[in-house]
Amino acid sequence: MNTINNSTKGFDAAARADRLMARFGRRVAAALSEQQARQPRHDIDERLRFAREQALARARETHRLTAAPAAVMLGGAGAAALAAGPGGDEAPWWLRLSSLLPLAVLLAGLLLIDHHYTQSQIEAAVEVDAALLTDDLPPEAYSDPGFVEYLKSARP
Amino acid sequence: MATDKELSDFLKNVEKRAFKRTAYTVRNDDAALDIVQDSMIRLSEKYGDRPAEELPLVFQRILSNATMDWFRRQKVRNAVLVNLSEFEGADDDGGDFDLLELLDLSSQSSATESAADSVGRLQILELIDGEVSRLPTRQREAFLLRYWEELDVAETAAVMGCSEGSVKTHCSRAVHALAKALRAKGVSP
Repeated sequence: MNTINNSTKGFDAAARADRLMARFGRRVAAALSEQQARQPRHDIDERLRFAREQALARARETHRLTAAPAAVMLGGAGAAALAAGPGGDEAPWWLRLSSLLPLAVLLAGLLLIDHHYTQSQIEAAVEVDAALLTDDLPPEAYSDPGFVEYLKSARP
Repeated sequence: MATDKELSDFLKNVEKRAFKRTAYTVRNDDAALDIVQDSMIRLSEKYGDRPAEELPLVFQRILSNATMDWFRRQKVRNAVLVNLSEFEGADDDGGDFDLLELLDLSSQSSATESAADSVGRLQILELIDGEVSRLPTRQREAFLLRYWEELDVAETAAVMGCSEGSVKTHCSRAVHALAKALRAKGVSP
C-alpha cells in the first residue's frame, strides 16, 4: 500500500513539475515575443518582409511552371480534336487502338505457340500409337511383367 | 494545398521568431536573415503545395537544416561541437537544486511586480533575452521549439533529429538554467 502511495506521489510530483516547466517556458516565450513587439527593428523587419515577398514570388512561379505542362497537354488534346474536324472524333480512338496493338500481337503470338505445341504433342502420340499397333509384338506384351524383365535382362 | 494567402500569413507569423532563433545560434544578424530567407524560399518552392497545417513543422526542419548548412559552409564545425559539449557535461548544478520550489517562486506575481518596479519591464525582457541566448545550443533550440514555436515533444524531436527523451532532457535543463539565472538576478518572466 505504501509502495502504491509512493508511486502515486511520484507521478503527481512529476506531473506538477511538467506543468510548472510548461508554464515557465510559456512565460519566457511570451517575454521574448513582448520584447520583439516593444523593440521593433525596422531594418530587420524590412528585410524579412522582402524575403517573404521573394519566397511568395518563387512559390507563384513554381506553381505556374507545374501548372503549365498540364495546360499544354490539355491544349494539345484540344488541338487534335479541332484538327479532326466536326466528324473526326475517331482520331483519339485510333490512338487508343494503336496503343492496344502490341498487346493484341502478343496475345496472338501466345495462342499460336500454344496451338503449335498441342499439335506437336498429338502428332507424337499418333506416331507412338501407330508404331505400337503396326509392330509384330502385341501391345498387351508391354503390360506383362515377365516380358518387361526379359527386356531389362536382354539389354547389354 | 496551402493557398497563397495561407503561405503568406504563415511566413509573416513565423519570420520574426525564426530570425531571432537563428540569430541566437549564428550570432550574426546578416547571416540569420540570409538563412531565414533561404528557408522561406525553400519552403515556398518545394513544399508550397503541402497543406497549411504541415507548414510549421516543415519550415522548422528546413530552418534547422539551413542553419547547420551555414555552419558547415563557414567551417566552424568545431565551434558547434564546443557548444554541443557544453550541455552534455556542464549542467551538473548539484542535487540540492529544487526546481519545483524555484518555479513556484518565479510564478508568483508579487515577485514579478517587484522586479518590474525596480528595473523596468524592458530591462527585464532584455535580461531574459540575454539568458536565453546564453543557453547551450541544443537546450535553447529545444526550449524555443517547444515553448515559443509551440511544437509538441514529438515534433520538436523530429525537427532536432533526436529522441523525445532527449528533447525532454534539453527542455528540463534549459528551464532549470533559466530559472536559476533569472532568480539570481531577481527577475521573473
